[in-house]
Amino acid sequence: MDRRTFLKATAGAGAFAASGLAAPAIAQGAKVLRFVPQANLANFDPIWTTQYVVRNASVLVWDTLYGFDENLKPQRQMVEAEETSSDGLTWTFKLRAGLKFHDGEPVRAKDVVASLTRWCARDTMGLMIKALQQELVAPDDRTVKWVLKKPFPKMLLALAKNSTPMAFIMPERIAKTDPFKQIDDYVGSGPMKFVKGEWVPGAKAVFEKFADYKPRDEKASWLAGGKNMLVDRIEWVVMPDPATAAAALQNGEVDWWENPIADLVPLLKKNRNIAVDIADPLGNIGAFRMNHLFPPFNDVKVRRAVLMALDQEEYMRALVGDDNSLWKPLPGYFTPGTPLYTEEGGEILKGKRDIAAAKKLLAESSYKGEPVTCVVAQDQPITKAQGDVTAELLKRLGMNVDFVATDWGTVGQRRALKSPPGQGGWGMFHTWHAGADCLNPAVYIAIRATGDGAWFGWPNVPSVEKEVDAWFDAKNLDEEKAAISRLNKAALDNVVYAPTGFFLSYQAWRKNVSGIVKGPIPFPWGVSKA
Amino acid sequence: MIGYVVRRVLATIPVMAVVALFVFSLLFIAPGDPAAVIAGDQATPEQVERIRQSLGLDRPFLVQFSDWVWRLLHADLGRSIFTNLPVTTMIAQRIEPTMSLTLITLVLSVTIAVPIGVLAAWKAGTLIDRAIMGFAVFGFSVPVFVIGYLLAYVFALELEWLPVQGYTPISQGVLPWLENLILPSIALGCVYIALIARITRAAMLEVLQQDYIRTARAKGLAQTPILFIHALKNASVPIVTVIGIGIALLIGGAVVTESVFAIPGLGRLTVDAILRRDYPVIQGIVLLFSFVYVLVNLGVDLVYTLIDPRIRY
Repeated sequence: MDRRTFLKATAGAGAFAASGLAAPAIAQGAKVLRFVPQANLANFDPIWTTQYVVRNASVLVWDTLYGFDENLKPQRQMVEAEETSSDGLTWTFKLRAGLKFHDGEPVRAKDVVASLTRWCARDTMGLMIKALQQELVAPDDRTVKWVLKKPFPKMLLALAKNSTPMAFIMPERIAKTDPFKQIDDYVGSGPMKFVKGEWVPGAKAVFEKFADYKPRDEKASWLAGGKNMLVDRIEWVVMPDPATAAAALQNGEVDWWENPIADLVPLLKKNRNIAVDIADPLGNIGAFRMNHLFPPFNDVKVRRAVLMALDQEEYMRALVGDDNSLWKPLPGYFTPGTPLYTEEGGEILKGKRDIAAAKKLLAESSYKGEPVTCVVAQDQPITKAQGDVTAELLKRLGMNVDFVATDWGTVGQRRALKSPPGQGGWGMFHTWHAGADCLNPAVYIAIRATGDGAWFGWPNVPSVEKEVDAWFDAKNLDEEKAAISRLNKAALDNVVYAPTGFFLSYQAWRKNVSGIVKGPIPFPWGVSKA
Repeated sequence: MIGYVVRRVLATIPVMAVVALFVFSLLFIAPGDPAAVIAGDQATPEQVERIRQSLGLDRPFLVQFSDWVWRLLHADLGRSIFTNLPVTTMIAQRIEPTMSLTLITLVLSVTIAVPIGVLAAWKAGTLIDRAIMGFAVFGFSVPVFVIGYLLAYVFALELEWLPVQGYTPISQGVLPWLENLILPSIALGCVYIALIARITRAAMLEVLQQDYIRTARAKGLAQTPILFIHALKNASVPIVTVIGIGIALLIGGAVVTESVFAIPGLGRLTVDAILRRDYPVIQGIVLLFSFVYVLVNLGVDLVYTLIDPRIRY
């Protein structure tokens, strides 16, 4: 090989490598909003996966029939009008005229039918509706008819909810994909188009304004109202390192950061070009779950002894530091500030902690000093901080802690095992729930206590399930509240799981960006950049 | 020589086969479940199992391994469990930033480390030597991410000379490309400079005591040709060896550097894939890195023949 051949070959290799990162064609003067999301957009199918980051990107691309407003009320979005038969068995939805997909095709009722069918196979409420379903059909291009065998009063709640998976509407050809397989065509009818060619999973995702989007006339309110886009292009820049994201925001290389960590917030607040505010008023609920199948936590006295000793402030300080505006005690299970919030039965979590009483209760229980396998993911700051506090708590109680430090992927696998803790199973693990998922029992899988079919830990508490049914059958808000109060008490009495407190997080943005609102999703509509 | 190269290239085949078997087995027995990650917190165990089945992760080891090897033989590394994109596409998307970072770091490091190593050997025992070796100890001791944060703070946030993060493809201009790579390359290069400088110094010290150097000096030859023509060439074998070995250091360091400077390279792809248990991606990248490492070693062996005529294959 001579020098010239060598140079040609290396130039060719360079060109090949460069082809993987093609330069984007951005129109002159286009307004570009650079956003740092909470996590990497590793895939883009909001039905196949339930990750929040996927949902947050999906609300740009796919629209929904209904959407929650900031009062948590379902409002029409793609739907123009709906009708319920007098027996409550038939729901008829009329689509708005002129809705289009990004490929130019009109949104038809058959697309809705296919989308809802796929969603029903994966969503908790969807599965409930599916179990009641007689038929789901499209009598004409703008009408969808859902006939049930039994009334389902929470229908609009199911279609509007923002907990994952949301009932997104996709073209029929995409929605016919097996719900357990991932789609690879990202055409929607939302206000932004996904630019597949510029997607570099783990690094960048790009969305461009959809010119034919027809926003509603009402003012935007969370997922409801007119989703007017005031920027032409949104670039999601994935930054795994919070310090880098903070520096990039200060330097003006990005415009909006979804979840700055509490440690860096004072630094950002000092910068006169940066605004900082609470991100999601629905916040998060910290939690650890105990395995109800095996000793020691199959004994309610042991679970209650742990709850008696648990100091929520210790957990919250470990999570958010000294910032008192970022946390609240939570003597219950439902999201504070929402209609169904209750503290009924929450005395066990209130007031000064009585370790002596907790130890006494533990002594009366069946606990005989066996190791408590406490599985803690170290790669998630929230679980790591909670795990460290719990280990100390258990030691204070005189329990024998087998602390298993691992990663989230392993916790995800191990917590599904129903074998005894000493044989690969577990005694307790830590997690957290988005407040949006703890509004009511329909979206709150962690509160369910159906035994084998319940969430990890498999609590079996018939009195909890009785109140879940009562909530579903409730005719009005008062009845709902009464059912939830009883449910909360039953769940705390039996310690379905241990709530460690309610915490919030911040978002931060450059001050040349305006229109950012607090909400469970970083809503991009109404956001402009000077 | 050509026969030797062919033999060495052929020898990479069993090496790669062992790497493939090792990586696949390791991932198979490692704890963690991508299906659980995909399904999310709200999923029921049945839903997780359905996803596991749809991904083919419920099949026995031998079936999965033979399927993977068969596709590998057809130059197909499979698809990512999470993105559903071909692994080759994901690697192609990420290879340019990592190649750029590694090459710039390599050039920068060799350009700085060899002369200062030579200088330290020439001025052995003096303040200059101690200062250079002190820098080398610093380079070894301070973690890459600390250097990265310091550089970003000074040159990006305070002086506003360079960007904090990101990567601009070379197709969008050499200057923007370089702007994004200067800080990460310095951060990543520190440990590499330290390593090469120390080895250069040690090798040069040995050579500078040889009789032929004394003879060259006695003949009145100037210091520069003595150091860089007569001594350095004869000290080059260990230096080239350590440069080759250091490629592995660079690949390891790129993982951290790419995270600190938000560079979308293979290092970050590797970390993301490991955390999510994206097996096909991990396997693809490890195979690629192993192949590169084998090639670098081959290159180093061939360079020996250029710098030392006594070496024959």
